[in-house]
Amino acid sequence: MKTNLLALGLALFGAGAILGGCSGGSGNATPAGGGNGKDLDVVSFQGGFGIDFFQQAAKEYEAKHAGTHIKVTGGPRVWEQLRPRFASGNPPSLTWPGWGMDYWALIYDNQVFALNDALKTPAYDGKGTWGDTFDPSLLKLGEYQGKQYELPYHYNIMGWWFNPDVFAKHGWAVPKTFNELLALAPKIKAAGMAPITYQGQYPDYTIKGFLFPWVISVGGIKAADDAQSLVPGAWKSDAFLQAAKMIKQLRDAGFFEDGASGLSHTESQTDFLQGKAAMIPCGTWLESEMRKTMPAGAKMQFMMPPVADGGKGDPSAIMIGIEPWIIPAGGSNHELAIDFYKYMTSVDKAKQFVTECGTLTAIKGSDQVKLPPVLEEPVKFYRASKTVYSIQFDTWYSTLGTESKNAMAALLNGSVTPEEFVNRLEAAAEKVRQDKSKPAHTMTH
Amino acid sequence: MNAIFRGAKSAATWAILIAFTLIVVVPLIWMILSSLKSGSEIFESPWGLPKALHFENFTHAWKTAGIAHYFVNSLIVSIATLIVLIPIGAMAAYIFARYPFPGSNLLFGSFLGGMMFPQFLTIVPLFFLMNSLKLGSYSLYDTKLGLTIIYVAYSLPFTVFVLKGFFETLPKDLDEAAMIDGASHSNVFWKVMLPLAKPGLIVVGIFNGIGLWNEYSLALVLVPSEENRTLPLGIANLVMVEHYNSDWGALFAALVIVMIPVLIVYWIFREKIHETMLAGAIKG
Amino acid sequence: MRNRGRTAFIITYLAPAVFLYALFVIWPVIQAVGFSFYKWSGLSSNKTFVGFDNFKSLFHDSVFWQALLHNAEIFIIGGFAILVIGIGIAHAMQGEGRFTKALRSVYLFPNIMSLVVVALLWQFIYHPRIGIISSLLGKPAPSKPGAPVVELSILGNGDKALPAVIITFVWFAVGFYIMLFSAGIRQIPQEVAEASKLDGAEGFFRFRKVTLPLLWSVGRIAVIYIVINALNVFALVFLMTQGGPDRKTEVMLTYLYEQAFVNSDYGLATALAIANFVVVMGVSGIIMRLTRKDPSGVPA
Repeated sequence: MKTNLLALGLALFGAGAILGGCSGGSGNATPAGGGNGKDLDVVSFQGGFGIDFFQQAAKEYEAKHAGTHIKVTGGPRVWEQLRPRFASGNPPSLTWPGWGMDYWALIYDNQVFALNDALKTPAYDGKGTWGDTFDPSLLKLGEYQGKQYELPYHYNIMGWWFNPDVFAKHGWAVPKTFNELLALAPKIKAAGMAPITYQGQYPDYTIKGFLFPWVISVGGIKAADDAQSLVPGAWKSDAFLQAAKMIKQLRDAGFFEDGASGLSHTESQTDFLQGKAAMIPCGTWLESEMRKTMPAGAKMQFMMPPVADGGKGDPSAIMIGIEPWIIPAGGSNHELAIDFYKYMTSVDKAKQFVTECGTLTAIKGSDQVKLPPVLEEPVKFYRASKTVYSIQFDTWYSTLGTESKNAMAALLNGSVTPEEFVNRLEAAAEKVRQDKSKPAHTMTH
Repeated sequence: MNAIFRGAKSAATWAILIAFTLIVVVPLIWMILSSLKSGSEIFESPWGLPKALHFENFTHAWKTAGIAHYFVNSLIVSIATLIVLIPIGAMAAYIFARYPFPGSNLLFGSFLGGMMFPQFLTIVPLFFLMNSLKLGSYSLYDTKLGLTIIYVAYSLPFTVFVLKGFFETLPKDLDEAAMIDGASHSNVFWKVMLPLAKPGLIVVGIFNGIGLWNEYSLALVLVPSEENRTLPLGIANLVMVEHYNSDWGALFAALVIVMIPVLIVYWIFREKIHETMLAGAIKG
Repeated sequence: MRNRGRTAFIITYLAPAVFLYALFVIWPVIQAVGFSFYKWSGLSSNKTFVGFDNFKSLFHDSVFWQALLHNAEIFIIGGFAILVIGIGIAHAMQGEGRFTKALRSVYLFPNIMSLVVVALLWQFIYHPRIGIISSLLGKPAPSKPGAPVVELSILGNGDKALPAVIITFVWFAVGFYIMLFSAGIRQIPQEVAEASKLDGAEGFFRFRKVTLPLLWSVGRIAVIYIVINALNVFALVFLMTQGGPDRKTEVMLTYLYEQAFVNSDYGLATALAIANFVVVMGVSGIIMRLTRKDPSGVPA
């Protein structure tokens, strides 16, 4: 047979097209320019809050400090551009790399500049040290082996949301316990709505919105801390099993919106705002993320996930997540990067961020502003909470994070039982324990 | 005569052809119709026709999302690549087809092997390389020039394969006659062989052009800045950003914008492509 | 004379292509192969030599085998569909009418669209809200408590996601094979086709006795291309499902992507790429060998 070269070429072209594709969005990243000490290359994740705020801050800073030039660029999958920049020793000067970046791998690889000394220097407005301006519990989340690598900027409060108008119209009370939820859900269905929808394409939301709140509610905060600290057996403890059973129960009862397992975050959130579903788990970025496409008159209000009846956990326990910035060790002009970040974390800028972007920041006193209405409820619950916690295991141990998401998708699909679900999680945790190359972390309260 | 019916096509054959045509075409038509619908129509009547033509979806994608700028970038990079690629590729293909030398098969084979390796594995090494190659005080990283060079390199295997096939089909006595007349190797190539290989050059140009227009992963890593971003990157950005904003109409419009130039070029040259493919197949 | 300046000519004319290809394609590939022997995060220049450890852990990794199985399903199920449709449609379209030519052009079009567009378009088609498939199935009112869950999601459903991806794969690819088989059918000498017609051989019989054997060599090429395409599928899966839900659509290259860019295990990812390469080459080689002779015993 004489190969038909043209056809072969065309086929390989087809193969190349498949090989060549690769997902993701795009973002901006430019090599750190000349190191004259005045240029700053800032790269930020561009998500629900956009990057306008940081770009504006850069302009203000340039105006105050003649000769400095700060370029802020970003993208919704900016970590894809950042990886090769880190690998080639050409990272930006200051960055919020976003949820897709493996922060801890960077830290283990000494790619992140430790800021302990910088935190001892005066704050931007000269009052006290810079370190004192941060909420210490949030600062602690970015620490590793006594060194401060990640700096929190804003943080989100995680919980559930409902539409107060819809609830008022039907005379529904916000369910505070799981049994109340089970009693309310059939009424919601009878009104032609799905009781709950969720961001099926990203099981992260349901891990944080269903699983962990109920683990803590059933077994107390220690059940969650032990799991995050990889204590043997913790991931298949009774608390996890009960929480998984609660999720299964809601699914089997048909209380989740049909098709939710295939919805993206914005799609399920749109369904919620259009009144197709009564409740949804999400963080405080919800309003900012949906602002542009919200149907007129749609309302959302924060609620705590209903707690397990008779559970031993603190019912006021609330989940937060920080969005950390880092100064790459290999970036140019550390001093300027630190000073610019100081400016961004000055209490005035932080207050402005709270007002404009509608979420809280890690800067003490930044919540002393007129909060956007949508933040009032979550902040009330946050201030009243005796147990504040945060989910870190997925960034510490990416393989466990991935498996937890896969297992969660399977549980919501009904393709695994709660028992199989917890066994998978424990098996993945065991694998991480065996892998000596991954440094261990501990979560305590 | 009726060429269509000569194949004794039965009703069943027709039914199959019509059904299959619908399977191919309906998704495309649906995409175009959806790009003209309002957001609520997209949700409420997925099968319906748009009640009014919402061209603002296109304006939104084109202007607000900056697709126009990406469009121009893609055009510049694709054309520049073809201008460099085709002569270089044709020269190499001609050598492989007509000037066998010890090891020429091995060299030619290495072009084949390298193509099968998953592309994004080379991306980090490539990134290092582009950063280290300097042009004055600037590196080739994040420049249209750098991307063009990479595109030329990655399009070469296909180009050389196809053109080698073309040169092999050209009658040998032509260049022999020219050589006897005293023409140099170069002259034979440029004056005699290249014009004869024109159908091949056109096919190579069209296929590479389409491939470059659609290319995504190399551009993603090598030209990250907004200034140099190409269309697939821009579209991915729009999809990601607009996804955050749930603007379905603009999403569909963006897909249509990427597709339309390919559709036009393809439709204009389709006969050429098919003829050449069929001719190549018969001689193969 | 014929050999005047031959060597110089060869060198000058090959040099630009060979230089660019060696520097920007071959050299990075060699470097990448080197990485497979290292533990490397891909985020810094710190690498540790680990020998064949990456390959060993891959061999014991159930997800890798699961991904390989999905590639195999895409190849076997998708490939079978492509061959049947490709040969069937090419056979049905014989002739050179303008209409036939136009049809062939239409069929090839998905193949030249950007895969990004194809993947996103089909993601929309399968979408539980806006998609035309789920709206065909109807949108039932929320089910009564205790009633079985109506699952409208296609890509979010563990049983339907991979078939859905395979359908997209076939939709995208099949036009090329129709083209290929049409070309193959054109190769059949006219007198053979005419003779079989005169004999009264009709439809399927003619197809089986005349068309099919003569398509053998084209069929071989087609199968090899399908191997390459099915085992190297990436963008389609990645954009449509990211390998989910629960790895039900994970393929080798999406898993590679996860190892490199989620788990920062660049060494393992490159090992995976090499495994992928070996599988593609191995399967192609076996198929070439097994199909060396066509059913009637004539060497192809």
